[in-house]
Amino acid sequence: MKNIYKPKEAIVEDIIVESPTIKTFVLRLKEPFEFKTGQFVELTLPGIGEAPFTPSSDPNIKNKIDVTVMNVGRVTSLLHTSSKNISLGMRGPYGKGYPLDKFEGKDILIVGGGVGLAPLRSLLFSLFVEIDKYNKVVLRYGARTPDDIIYKESIPRWAKIKKVDVATTVDVGDTKWKGNVGLVTTILKDLPVDLKKAVSVVCGPPIMMKFTTLKLLDLGFKPQDIYLSMEKNMSCGLGKCGHCRIGKFYTCKDGPVFTYEQLNDIHDIWE
Amino acid sequence: MHQIYYIESNQLNILFQKLKKDYRVFSPVIKENNATKETDYSYGESTENEPFVFNPYRTVEPLKTFFTPPLDKAVEYFNQDESTEYLPKIIIFGVKSCDIVGHKVQDFVFLEGVEVDSLYRLRRENTIFISSDCTDFKEVCHCLAWEILPHPTEGFDLNLSPLNEGYLVEAGSKKGEELIQQYKEFFVIAKDTQLTARKVKRENLMERLKKHLLPQHLVSKDIVQRLMKEGYNLDTWQQFMLTCVECGGCNFICDTCHCFLLADKKEGNINKKLKAWDACLYANYAKVAGGANPLKTRTRRLRFRFTKKFDFFIDNLGMPACCGCGRCIEVCPGKIDIREVLKDLAKKLNIKT
Repeated sequence: MKNIYKPKEAIVEDIIVESPTIKTFVLRLKEPFEFKTGQFVELTLPGIGEAPFTPSSDPNIKNKIDVTVMNVGRVTSLLHTSSKNISLGMRGPYGKGYPLDKFEGKDILIVGGGVGLAPLRSLLFSLFVEIDKYNKVVLRYGARTPDDIIYKESIPRWAKIKKVDVATTVDVGDTKWKGNVGLVTTILKDLPVDLKKAVSVVCGPPIMMKFTTLKLLDLGFKPQDIYLSMEKNMSCGLGKCGHCRIGKFYTCKDGPVFTYEQLNDIHDIWE
Repeated sequence: MHQIYYIESNQLNILFQKLKKDYRVFSPVIKENNATKETDYSYGESTENEPFVFNPYRTVEPLKTFFTPPLDKAVEYFNQDESTEYLPKIIIFGVKSCDIVGHKVQDFVFLEGVEVDSLYRLRRENTIFISSDCTDFKEVCHCLAWEILPHPTEGFDLNLSPLNEGYLVEAGSKKGEELIQQYKEFFVIAKDTQLTARKVKRENLMERLKKHLLPQHLVSKDIVQRLMKEGYNLDTWQQFMLTCVECGGCNFICDTCHCFLLADKKEGNINKKLKAWDACLYANYAKVAGGANPLKTRTRRLRFRFTKKFDFFIDNLGMPACCGCGRCIEVCPGKIDIREVLKDLAKKLNIKT
């Protein structure tokens, strides 16, 4: 019988610097590994520790996975100092991803903050592959400063895809920045979406998710049409270790993607 | 009901010794015999010729220690030749009704859900529970408040009910029935009069326990989830938190608490993942890498422990994750009493217990 805690081996094939604090690790799996967009994995630094990440690559690409990692903790800082060709362990995928079938025919508003664009990039790739199934994809992305923007070269390319509309903002600009300055909620005005057939997907730091959700509700999005990627202390990924509980749910097994409708009667979800 | 047998005490003791040849046998032993306070019993591995001891109530440690020990190897990885653990067959004597009910929570966590914890399952399959009726109770015992009887009704392989110079033995599973068949020379079919006597003994104990519990006005199963939902913002949590020293004792000693941490370790060339008990009363329990901590305060952590037991598990398993064993009450250096916390909520919400 298989051991549910056993990671599969993955080789770091490439490391891409996205921002001063964020890198993308391109991993090649030694064994077959498939995931649905929005599901997460547990990455192990052998003998050192593991942490949860949502892949940022196109799930249609088999045996290669991108994981975009911000340097924030013990495992991530060691990952950031590691080099190509090392072995990592990978468990998963875990949880429920984005329900793409529910997005068909809809205007999909995607709101990202900081490194929260990582899971959303995987979602975007999944949508782009079958763009005819969807009415429109609207991306609104905010980062702290122009330097902190990730996927810098990709974002302008995405904007050129048909049916895709992109806008970005930064909290604090610099001399070269010509775009919007302000929190991501400042670019949620006059959205080119038809509320009657729109869904929204939000991923970012808790405070950004909170204010974005409030803004979206204000704009008229229904709680069941707001999809949130919750970040909790997921450890086992299987609903056994207990750490990521929110109310009656475990983030790892019932999420990490929840609708606001599922969460709105639970206390302290933004903490 | 399954077939019920009778075994004489001296015969049980002979059987007890015989079983040690084929199984590792764990059985309660007196931990501390102090005439001025309650005698405590603790599971120990029974050595050769060590006699069988009947524990009148539950042991100090929870049953979960046999299936998810405090520090456990979860898996070895990236190793060419992985060692496979030898799992002995074990028999546990002295398991009580509260333990069996509480253990349902452990089974739910590790045997059901998304995937099965294979090591837990193997250990479970390799274990025989020989439970027994309570013939006494501790001050903190309150199983009846949760409608749990002080004698096992299911979930055991064999159950012992002391009667005169021996025990009535009820088989509760195929494993139990097989064990009786294997040693059938020790058992006789119980007589109706003996069954009646068991019933009377059980009822007497329940009457005594009721008399102990009634004046306490404990919270019942029917209202406890309401207390969690409506009492979320009451000052009860803050009040009771004041003496919490964040030792995690209540979590570790609990029959139903199951949280664990996965940690990685390298020993020579071997990479290991270890599974270590974790406690939601610990400050870093819910902290994420970026520094956010949804359970920043002791107040929140204490409340989290209660909402897990009385809200989450009622929603997810259909039962509260408390079996009334009272272990957490005994262990707490801050004297935080689960019964009192619930009563305080009910009182402040004006809900009749």
